[in-house]
Amino acid sequence: MRTIVELRELTKDFGAVRAVDRVDLDVREGEVLALLGPSGCGKTTTLRLVAGFERPDAGRIVLDGEEVAGSDRFVAPERRRVGVVFQDYALFPHLTVGHNVGYGVRDRNARDARVAEMLDLVGLTGEAARLPHELSGGQQQRVAIARALAPEPALILLDEPFSNLDAALRVRVRGEVRAILCDAAATAVFVTHDQEEALSLADRIAVMRAGRVLQVDEPGTLYAHPTDRFVATFVGDADLLPGRADGDAVTTAVGRLPTTNGDLSGDVAVALRPERVSLRLDGAGQGVVRGITYFGHDQLVEVGLEDGARVRSRMGPVRAFEPGDRVSVAVTGEVIAFRVSGTLNELTPDLASE
Amino acid sequence: MVAAAFAGPLVYLVVRTAQEGGAPEVLRSETALGPLTRTLLLAATTAVACALLGTTLAWLVMRTDLPLRRLFRVLVALPLVIPSFVGALALIAAFARGGLLDELFGFDALPPVRGYWAAFATLTLLSYPYVYLPVAARLSALPPSLEETGRSLGRSPAQVFRSLVLPQATGAIAAGALLVFLYVISDFGAVSLLRYDTLTVRIESARLFDPPTALALGLLLAVVALVVVMSERGLSRRRVNTEAVAAGRRPLQAPLGVWKAPALALVVGVVGIALVAPVAVLAQWTLRGLGEDRAARGVEWSDLWQPLLNTGGIAVVTAVVAVAVVLPVAYLTTRHQSRVGAVANALVVAGFALPGLVIALAVVFWVLRAPLVGGLYQTFPLLVFAYVVHFGAQAMRASQVAVSGVPRRLGDAARSLGSGRWRRLRTVDLPLMLPGLGAGAGLVLLSTMKELPATLLLAPTGFDTLATRIWSATESAYFARAGLSALALVALSGVLTWLLTIRRLERLDA
Repeated sequence: MRTIVELRELTKDFGAVRAVDRVDLDVREGEVLALLGPSGCGKTTTLRLVAGFERPDAGRIVLDGEEVAGSDRFVAPERRRVGVVFQDYALFPHLTVGHNVGYGVRDRNARDARVAEMLDLVGLTGEAARLPHELSGGQQQRVAIARALAPEPALILLDEPFSNLDAALRVRVRGEVRAILCDAAATAVFVTHDQEEALSLADRIAVMRAGRVLQVDEPGTLYAHPTDRFVATFVGDADLLPGRADGDAVTTAVGRLPTTNGDLSGDVAVALRPERVSLRLDGAGQGVVRGITYFGHDQLVEVGLEDGARVRSRMGPVRAFEPGDRVSVAVTGEVIAFRVSGTLNELTPDLASE
Repeated sequence: MVAAAFAGPLVYLVVRTAQEGGAPEVLRSETALGPLTRTLLLAATTAVACALLGTTLAWLVMRTDLPLRRLFRVLVALPLVIPSFVGALALIAAFARGGLLDELFGFDALPPVRGYWAAFATLTLLSYPYVYLPVAARLSALPPSLEETGRSLGRSPAQVFRSLVLPQATGAIAAGALLVFLYVISDFGAVSLLRYDTLTVRIESARLFDPPTALALGLLLAVVALVVVMSERGLSRRRVNTEAVAAGRRPLQAPLGVWKAPALALVVGVVGIALVAPVAVLAQWTLRGLGEDRAARGVEWSDLWQPLLNTGGIAVVTAVVAVAVVLPVAYLTTRHQSRVGAVANALVVAGFALPGLVIALAVVFWVLRAPLVGGLYQTFPLLVFAYVVHFGAQAMRASQVAVSGVPRRLGDAARSLGSGRWRRLRTVDLPLMLPGLGAGAGLVLLSTMKELPATLLLAPTGFDTLATRIWSATESAYFARAGLSALALVALSGVLTWLLTIRRLERLDA
């Protein structure tokens, strides 16, 4: 499979802050890749470097076989054949929908046909004469996507594409966008801080933190086998518990747990997914129920352990526990362990709650 | 009541002209037609030239990799502080025998500068900041993603400017050009010094021996101003929904490439001719006057202090009164959407469109005729009244922004905490509006300091401002004295302008 984007040792500084730190990343033809990370992790800067809006301080970018940024080379954004969909859509407010979509099509004779084709693709047939402010948020976004796709770019970049939509609309639009990108057979990179969005929309996800790419994998692999404890807590819920590893098991405050990586020994941290944790009322249990967050279809029960650590259990809708109940904790299946040096406080990723 | 005060001069002008009769003849005659044509020609060409120059400069300093652009962002706006008659004075002085050009290059047989081209050049170089400032502000309020999208869709920086940025800046350019137009038709100092016979010059010369003609011409000038303002408003209404605004990150920079040198030459040239040259000429005159026998050339330090104090004093009083008068109207228009407020607003704005000379003229004739207020002629209050009518609109715009900047829910929150109307005004609204009101007052202050024709007509006898002092010194050819006062005026308004406008523009780049 062809590689459309190659980032090698890509680095960008803003003053004293290193926004992008030696990033290596490949994007394959036809795939949708998500750049996932908390705000300020450098994901949007990476996107802007690929688009050509920023110049890298070091490293190189190869787009569709051509080096567009390197030590002595910089190709202007208008020569890169990269479509961009902005968070605010950036529709040209003084131009009609049709003129917006046709803006990037250089061949005048083909323009009208291409505009019509794109509007069909995004489900806005016949809306060419309207002005952007007459459209709803979802429609505006589809115009922005049609406009980016119209010149047949090698790559399309989307910056936080769903953050301007309200929650109810977001899920539906996500599906529509996925379908549009598939129909157009486009190679796409999108930036998001929402793990659910990344997991449901992307073929592969690159998790970023503090300017670095920590792990690139398919959603299932990323969830089941995070290689980094930040990834474990940022992608999906997870609680970290300290423990001692020997062979293929780890001894923790909730018992001896089998691990997937058997080559560790000494102090480790294990990540517990709440759906793998079950609770039972038990006067001699290891923990006390601290709080319950009720969602209707399920609930999260938070348990404080003797040593001050916390585990959460995701369980069915029946309210079986009240705060203050003493419970015993059991974990099903194998857990993921990470090597640590330090205390539990350092284990807790600063942005785990996002 | 405020509205009535603002409408007064215009209404009086109409009534008096009707009473006098003969207006149709005056307006049809050569007396009116020649000056009217010249006024319109000068104003239209200057407005177009300023639109081109101001927009080009704004784009160069805001969007390209021009060297020293941050410094030029400030310098390019500064010719605004030079009153037109001071600029004209400097131009004349530079070209005169023994002037700067003579001294530096030995040109001693230059023709005297006068007429259309001299007036056009002077007014263009001094009033292009009226376009530059709003356009620069508009460019910095434009979401960068707009231009980035254009570039990523394969268009060059120049094409993006033409197809995306320019349409977005049309409103700002038009508003700026309108200000230039109004400034030029009401200008008296420069055209009079440069011997270009426009309506204002005609009005001034006719007002003593031929009042009916002066009144009719004044009305004509007022009508021109109002028609232009109204047509611009009609056009701008359509734009509202198609302008994109967002604060944002640094915009993309267009590389100038081989154009870097010519672009730099243009910017340096404009700043050199419009800012550095006038100041240099004034400094030369002043130094020469001080170097020789002081008394003989008419320069005394006390000559400077008194006008300086007068100028500062009356400008501050005017600014405070203007804001106080305009604030209730601003409240009505932004908070309550009342019909009364809208009418009052329109009248206040119309006051700005009316040339200062016309307002002064109406006030003079009105006061001289009316028995009750006759004693007010050439008194302090009347002068302040004329200033406020003329410049109230500047405070109005700033006040409206200030009022709408205070979220209504803050007032509601204060109310729910049991705070009454006056306490709310004093503890919540006023403190939050203060910076905005200050900006409005500052604009009025600046304009008042530079005002010439109304001051000449209405100032109490013996009450000299810097502007009138410069004017009278010029008429009696005391160039050294004029130079010193002019430098003081330029310095004073320079500081104010920096505080009010440019500093804010600078901050946008931080």
